[in-house]
Formats: sequence, C-alpha cells, structure tokens
Amino acid sequence: MPLADALPNPYQPSLVRIHDYVDETPDVRTLRLQFVDEGDARGFAGWEPGQFGQFTVFGAGESVFALANAPWRPNGHKGALILECTFRMVGKVTSALRAMSTGQVIGFRGPYGNHFPVDDWKGKHLVFIGGGIGMAALRSAMLDVINRKFEFGDVVILNGARSVADMVYTDEMPSWEKVDGVKVVRTVDPGGETEDWNGEVGLLPNVFEGLGLDPENRIVIACGPPIMLHYLFLSLGKVGYSPEQVVTTLENKMKCGIGHCGRCYVGPFSVCRDGPVVTWAELNELPKDY
Amino acid sequence: MTEANVSTAQSSAGPAPEDWKPHIVALVCNWCSYAGADMAGTTRLEYPSNVRMLRFPCTGRMSPLMILKAFEGDADGVLVSGCHPGDCHYVQGNLVARRRFTIFRSLMDFIGIDLKRLHFAWVSAAEGHKWAKVVGEVTAAVQEAGPLPGFEAPKGWDGIELPDMAGSGPQELDDKQLDAICDNLRKAATEILSTGRAGVVIAYGQGNLAGRTRPVFITDGADCDALVWGQGCRNNLSTYVASTLEGRERVAVVAKACDLGAISGLIREGQIRRDQVLVIGVQCPGVTDDSNLAAKCLACSGDPHPVCDLVVTVDGVQESCEDPSQATLDTADARDEQIAYLESLPHGERWKYWQRQFARCLRCYACRAACPLCYCASCVAEKHRPQWVPTSIDNPGNSTWNIIRAIHLAGRCSGCDECARVCPADIRLDLINRKLALEVERHYGKVGLDPGEKSALVDFRMEDSEEFIL
Amino acid sequence: MDASWKLTDVQLMEWLSGLLEGSNVVAPVEEDGVLLFRQIASPDQATVTPSGKTRWSPKEFLFPRSEALYRYAFKGSTVLLEDPSGPDRPQVLFGVRSCDASGIVRLDDIFLSGMKDRLYAARRDNTTIVSVACNAADPECFCTAVGYSPVGEEGCDIQLVPLDGDWLLRPLTEKGKELVGEGGEAWKQATAADRKKIRVIAKKVTGQIERSPVNQEWSQVLEEGFEHGAWERLAQHCLGCSVCAYVCPSCSCFDMNHEGNAWCGEQCRSWDACTFPLFTHHASGHNPRKTKQERYRQRVLHKFAFKEEGDQPFRCVGCGRCVSLCPAGLDIVNTVAAAVEAIREEGANAAR
Repeated sequence: MPLADALPNPYQPSLVRIHDYVDETPDVRTLRLQFVDEGDARGFAGWEPGQFGQFTVFGAGESVFALANAPWRPNGHKGALILECTFRMVGKVTSALRAMSTGQVIGFRGPYGNHFPVDDWKGKHLVFIGGGIGMAALRSAMLDVINRKFEFGDVVILNGARSVADMVYTDEMPSWEKVDGVKVVRTVDPGGETEDWNGEVGLLPNVFEGLGLDPENRIVIACGPPIMLHYLFLSLGKVGYSPEQVVTTLENKMKCGIGHCGRCYVGPFSVCRDGPVVTWAELNELPKDY
Repeated sequence: MTEANVSTAQSSAGPAPEDWKPHIVALVCNWCSYAGADMAGTTRLEYPSNVRMLRFPCTGRMSPLMILKAFEGDADGVLVSGCHPGDCHYVQGNLVARRRFTIFRSLMDFIGIDLKRLHFAWVSAAEGHKWAKVVGEVTAAVQEAGPLPGFEAPKGWDGIELPDMAGSGPQELDDKQLDAICDNLRKAATEILSTGRAGVVIAYGQGNLAGRTRPVFITDGADCDALVWGQGCRNNLSTYVASTLEGRERVAVVAKACDLGAISGLIREGQIRRDQVLVIGVQCPGVTDDSNLAAKCLACSGDPHPVCDLVVTVDGVQESCEDPSQATLDTADARDEQIAYLESLPHGERWKYWQRQFARCLRCYACRAACPLCYCASCVAEKHRPQWVPTSIDNPGNSTWNIIRAIHLAGRCSGCDECARVCPADIRLDLINRKLALEVERHYGKVGLDPGEKSALVDFRMEDSEEFIL
Repeated sequence: MDASWKLTDVQLMEWLSGLLEGSNVVAPVEEDGVLLFRQIASPDQATVTPSGKTRWSPKEFLFPRSEALYRYAFKGSTVLLEDPSGPDRPQVLFGVRSCDASGIVRLDDIFLSGMKDRLYAARRDNTTIVSVACNAADPECFCTAVGYSPVGEEGCDIQLVPLDGDWLLRPLTEKGKELVGEGGEAWKQATAADRKKIRVIAKKVTGQIERSPVNQEWSQVLEEGFEHGAWERLAQHCLGCSVCAYVCPSCSCFDMNHEGNAWCGEQCRSWDACTFPLFTHHASGHNPRKTKQERYRQRVLHKFAFKEEGDQPFRCVGCGRCVSLCPAGLDIVNTVAAAVEAIREEGANAAR
C-alpha cells in the first residue's frame, strides 16, 4: 500500500489558464495557456517537439492535441512558460473548448509520447509538409528549427489547406519566411482558391513534386489526413526518398496517453506510448490499421 | 454518474426526516402549462414551491429519457403537463405523447417506481387555478411516497423467487423427424440458390459447443449440407437480413415462428422491402437455453407460420401464399404468471428486484446487437451532446439504459427474446418486454404480423384512454 | 514455500470466516441463478466448488467497471480537483480459478507497466488471491490449449486444490503465507501423496479438454496475414457487442468520460471494448477499423499475436467464457486455427 500511495495519479491534470488565443480559421483556434501553479510548469519543462498533451474541459472531457509552440530551450526562449495548442472544433470537447474565453481554467496533463529527433536533423535540409490541422503537430518542431536555423540546412514549409479560409497560421507565416533559408509554400486544394489567391493550387503531393527538391541530405516531416499521407508517400517514393528520410506522426484516437486504455494500438504499437512520431520505414512495418 | 451527485435523501436509507420536502421536476409545454403556471402566479394563487419547471415546445418533444434524467438527478417526483387533446400547437404532439406516457408509466410502475411520483396533466394557458391545484396534489402525493429509493443494488436482500413457468412447448420431434426437416431444409436452400431466387441463405450451422449452432451464410448450393436444424437453433436470424442485403437483391432467411414478428417489423419500419426477403418457415421443436426449453417456447406450437414464403415441415417443402395481413401471433405466454406475481408485490420489492438485475448489467450492449429491431445507426446510448444515458456502468446508468431500450421497443418488440437470451447477466429483459407488449395490447390492440400496420406508439386515436391524466 | 496443509470443508470455512474479520472477502456467490464474484458477509454465502466458474472473471474488483479517476468542482474562477482515496481494508479474492488468476497477471502487464495506474496498483497491492484448482473442465474450457493450466500457479498467493472432499492449501507467495498466519498450526500437514494429486488432477482435466493447442508460432502467421481475406468470412456473424471483452479475464480496455452536472463531476473510467465502432472512431470521422471484421480481428490478434517476444504467454487465458456467451456462437480458438490455415494455404495477402 505505501508503494501505491507514493505513486502519482496519472490521470489528474494540472490547471492551466487561457492566456489568449488566435482564431486561425472559422473553426480552428490556437490557445496560449499559462499554468495556474508555476510549480506544475517547472515539473515538465523538458518536453520536446512532437509530444502531445491531454487537455481537459471540465464537464465535457479530455481531448488530445499536439503541443504546438517551440519547446522551452534554455536561453532560446523568451517570456513566461506558455503552452500552445491548435485545435479544430469537431466534437464535444473541442466545441466546449472553443466556447471558453480568456482567463478560464482548463486541465492539462502530459507531455506524452516520443518526439521528433530534431537534433538528429542538424546540418540537413528539411521539408515540413502539413495538411490542414496537421500543421499543428509540426509547428513545435518547425519553430524549434527556425529559432536555431543556423544549425540546419534549407527549410521548406509546405502549408496546405482545403481552401483559403481553412489555412492555418496565416498570421505568422510571414515571420517564418523572414528567416534566411526558410521558404514557405502555401497551397490550397483545387477549387479552394479565391480570386486574389497568390499561392499554389493543387493537392499537396503534386505541389511537393513540383518543387523538385533533391532528396539528397533531406528529411521530410509530414502530417495530415490519412488519405493525404497515402498519396504523399507514393510521391516521395517516386522522386527517390527512402523511407528512413520521411517522418510523420500518427494521430490515432487516444484517451489515456500512457498506453493503458488500448484504443490507439496499431498492431503491437501503442501510438501514445511508442509514438506518435514514426518514420515512414517504421510505418511500413506496422499493420495497416491507422 | 457514479458518486458525485448522489443526494443525501437517496443515500440515507430508512424513513425520511420529518422536515423532508420533495424535489419535483415539472416538464411543461411552452404553449399551455407554462403559461398556465404564469397565470397562477399573476393571479397570486398560493401553491407549494417544490416544483422546478423545465419548458419544452410540446409534450410530444418530451422523451421518457428526460423523465429518467430527472429521477437520476435525484428528483423525488416528476410532473409532465401539456395541452388538452385537440389543443396542441403542433396538432397532434400531445396525442402521440399520451400513448408514450401511458406505456412509460406502466413500465415505471413495473420496475418499482411508485406512481405517486409520476404525474401527467393537461393544463391550458387559462387554467391558472388548475395548475395550482395540480401542483398541490402532486406535491402531496410525492410527499406521501417519500424520498426516491436509491439507484443501487439492494444489500442483504434475499431476492424474489418467481413462480415456475408452465407449458408443454411444441410437439416433440424425434431425431428421425428432425433429420427429415433438416433434409427438406437443405433441399429448399439448394433449390433457392440454384434457381437464383435469393443470392444467399441465412441459416444455422453446427456450433462448436454441444447443442449449439451458429449463423451461416450460404451462397453456394453445394454448401447446403452445412445447414443444421434442432433445438440449438436459438438465434433470430432476421438480425442479419439488412447487413446481408448489401450488394444483393434478395436474401433467404430461415425463420422459426418467433422470428417472424421481427421480419414483419423490419418491413413495417422500412428497413427492408417484402420482396427483398424470402422467408423459409421451418417446423420448430422449440429451442433450449442450455438444458431447458426456452421460456418463449413453452406456449408455442412450433408450427411454421403461413406468412412465410416457403414452409418446411417433416413432410416436405410447400410454397405458402397467405396474405401476411391476415396473420396474428398466438400471444399466450408462459411468463404472464411471473409478471402477475411481480405486480402483486409492493413497489419497494419490485425496485429491489430490478435494481439487483440492473446492477449486474455490464453494458456490453449484446441486447441491442442481437435485437433485430435495434437497427439505429447511432444509438441513444452513444449520444453525448447531451449525455442522456450515463456512461458509467452502475445502477443509475444501467437503469436508464435498460428502461429506455425497453421503451424504444414498446409496441415494436416482436417477443423473440433475443435480448434476454444473449444477456450475460441474465437480466429478465423478456419480462419487461412482455409486460410492455401486454400493456400495448390492452390499450391499443394486438400487434400483428401485418407489415402494413403502424406501430402503436407512433400512432394515436382521439379517444385513447387517459384516465391517469390529471 | 514447502508448507502445505490438508483441510476439511469445515476447516476451510472456519478459515474463510476468520479472513472476514480483517479483510473484504470476495468470493463466488449465486445471485438470481448466476454465479458471480461478490463481497460476502459470511462464509455460507460463498460457493467454493471443485470445478465450475463464475459468469465473468473477478477483474472488476481490481479494475472496476466504472470508477472516478478524480473529481472536480467549479469554484469561482477556478476548479478544485480531488484525488480519490485508495482502498481502506485489505481485500481477499477467494475461490479464483487459475485462468482468472492468470488473467489478473495479464492485467498487471498493462496497468503496472510504464506509468503505473495508481488506483489499480493500490488495489492490487492490497489484494491477496486465493485460487482453486479445477477438478473438471467445463465444456467451453480450453486453458491447456493456449499454454495455461487448470492447476496453474501464476498470480495465485494461495492455491487450494480439491482432494475428494478435502482441500490441499498451498501458500505460494509471502502474501499468501501472511494470510495463512497462525492458522496453519491447527491444520494437518499435507503429505507428498496429497501434493501428488495436483498432477493427477492436471492430467485428468487436460484430458477433458479436447481442443487442439494453439501454437506459439501462429502469432507470426496471424500478423503476416493481417490483411487476409479470411477475416471477412470468419467474423461475418459477429454482432458487434462486447460480451466477449467484458467477460474476459484479461481484456483491459477502457474509456474515460466526464460525468457530472453544472457544479461538479468526475472523470469516470469505464470498461470499453475494441469490438465497438466508436472505440477507434476519430472526431474527424476517420475510423481505422470501420467494419466489425476489422474490429473482431483486432480482438483476436491482441490475444494471440502482437507480442514483443515469441515466447510470451498469449493474452487469452483459455477460460472459454467468450465462447459460451457469444450471442453469435463465435469461437476464438477455432477462428485462430481457421485464419492460420487460410493464411498458410492461400498466402498472407490473399484477396478478400
């Protein structure tokens, strides 16, 4: 009994307050959250890009979002210990979350899962490919790279959306582009463009092929709906990327975050515990169950 | 919810304290009773203040779920009030509601809710005085009934021994006769598949445990030897008809007499068309629940019903061409005595009887999965905005689930007993269904096999009984 | 742990009665004709028999069907959180079958791995398991076919073995010894002949189980044939309920929901099952396992495949409850055998 009493309750969240938010699109919002108790914040200052958290709207339930801001690197980060997440209003919890305003308190537990091997990418060229809300899972790694761009090669960011109105992070893309060696390509699906749209029009895999990037010394980091990833991998194979060069994150339905509840299994692979970050090569080893 | 919202009144057993005042929730129609209550207020009538009102557009909009929610949220009594018949703002909402509440009320009574807690009234916008009077009466009645008994398994309670069910069951068939039926059935199935009358035959195949069968889907005439027939053919195969129809014009299904009601129900409710299903009625020896003859078989003759397309007996296979609308099911039932016995007990005992059973419910939803008429693509149990049926697997949630499922099947249930058969916790869902069938029959006539008929609870008559309505 | 004793029925009941003083004792009890694990108030309520099992496993006394993981209450502009307290009295699970005891160890594999589940760990620490070896197999039993035994010791703190009317009592762990305590002094020491009966029983019951064994190597075959067309046929009659998962001693999946009102509530954990469509349904509408065949395959493979090492035990302990209680007559062992046969004959990628 003493042993069990000494264990923490893995399901009890820390309280975070909504500091402010950005409405990315009519149904996508980015929250900036501040810990109610600074002690909680210091408790897990060591999170890495690609990890996710469970966000609680008391009375509605929990929802999983990727941690979307740059990690709290020593010296590299300014300001208070803020957490950010970007979510689309689709279900019970996200609708309730969307209805909350600045100053209100929600719950957070995490960080969970593995992370992008950002340090392994040093000296390499990088391509971030995000489809729709998939950008949210990449943003943390992207900002981490941009913040210390001198350690990496060229960076291309492909931000794709169904339509112009659905494009996320439009406000901040200009600031990413300002960094030397960072190129941002905006693209919308055919039919989603407006008259004054000056970005690309086309499906992400096609736009990516059109960029004609040399696979040599390059890492592709992609996240998006399953159908997009399917066609993207076909394109990547066609233009000569090896499966080890491609990293993605699996976004299965998750509840517990610690590999116990059983719903995020892809074969023997528990997405919340062993993932969510996987290479295309690792994905090929798993049953097609995601 | 499990514990967070258990009121002190519920959790404390024993007599209510002297100064106890009931909580009453009133669900009222916006167009009449709400205004009537307003009228009572502006007229400065004095009446008890125990009632919390919830305004709805119409009594027709009120689901029994809402009444259950009130009880679960520790209301001691519920009052439902709407417009007088003929005055409905939406023409017939209250008339449909009247039937629904008639049946719901008898179900609540059956599971042990004292009807002093559950009241219905017609109060018009002009009837301020009547509103005050109704609230006064309802409050007095609930006060008398006392705090609502807890949604919990009774502790240290010995249980109730129900009387044995009597009945001889269908005519006994020996092995030779069963073999003959089985042979005829195989012939019929082969014929159906070879002539293309149906693309698949849903039938029974050998199970893995002794005396058990499992559903098989035969598409090739050569495989018809896999068909079996006997007392282990327990499933109601009509559950599979709609899903097997995908990509096919017509399916053939083997049916016992007790399975037919479900097939006509599916047709009546537009889930399948008559011409999409070929019904093979088979002479039935009765089915066993492990060793005993199933309850539904005790009063059944086992003869295949003439509404089938094909009739398979010991003697052979006949085409049947009888008009389904002429058919009625024999409703003698061995369970009626058990129901009568339960009803002779005080409410408190009945409440314990059912709460103990509901406490065992695992919410595996096998009852729903096996039920041919539970075909909704999205079940109310999974609706979570709002969460009508609590997700927690405990007495409040389990009671709501089992009650609401019974209500959703009232007037539709064909009495095939699949829910009770598959329940791993042996909850007597068959008693509940049978009770509701009896109530529907008593008030609105027999539920037949006629696919052209409307289900009793989506229909109404101006002259429907309403003696319980204040 | 060499000490073991031979007890009469009366002595066993006396001991059980003593256990009630210091612990919550959970034992098989007959309720409305259903044999279930229930907390007992006196020894005569318990039905401890040489064979036969409860309708479902005692896992709910470690992993309740529903429980509060924490409670919350709104207060002003913030939220108060409250951690549920652990068990206050020791718990004894009495009369657990070997398969069910192994099932609990399979639950431990999940709940006590990685980040430990505090509530489960507290209950597990607090629980002593007294198992009863099986003297006869039920028709659905197949423990020996999946690598378990009717006299298996896994997970048992004390094992009772039926000896023609008497009982052999063997403490197997420190916890078990503690539970016996001084009791042993009054009992008759068991002889080697008594202990030999264990093997006799095992042999007898193994003989009663007619199933052919599930081979460890099949795990690999099943994984390779993940997309084999046979699955569609094998699970055609599955109805998509969760009887199999809820009566299973080793199924551990759960769901979490907030249950509450406008003022307070709780994070409520409830059993859930991979056979339900909503289990993996994303809010976006995407569902990796859209059909009941895919969902049933997941359940089967999670029991018999998806293992990190080849020699790990199957997660199916062979109690057979899912076989006898399946509304549609599905049989997990036959399914595995049929799938393996189809995959081997037609190749791993045979079309649907």
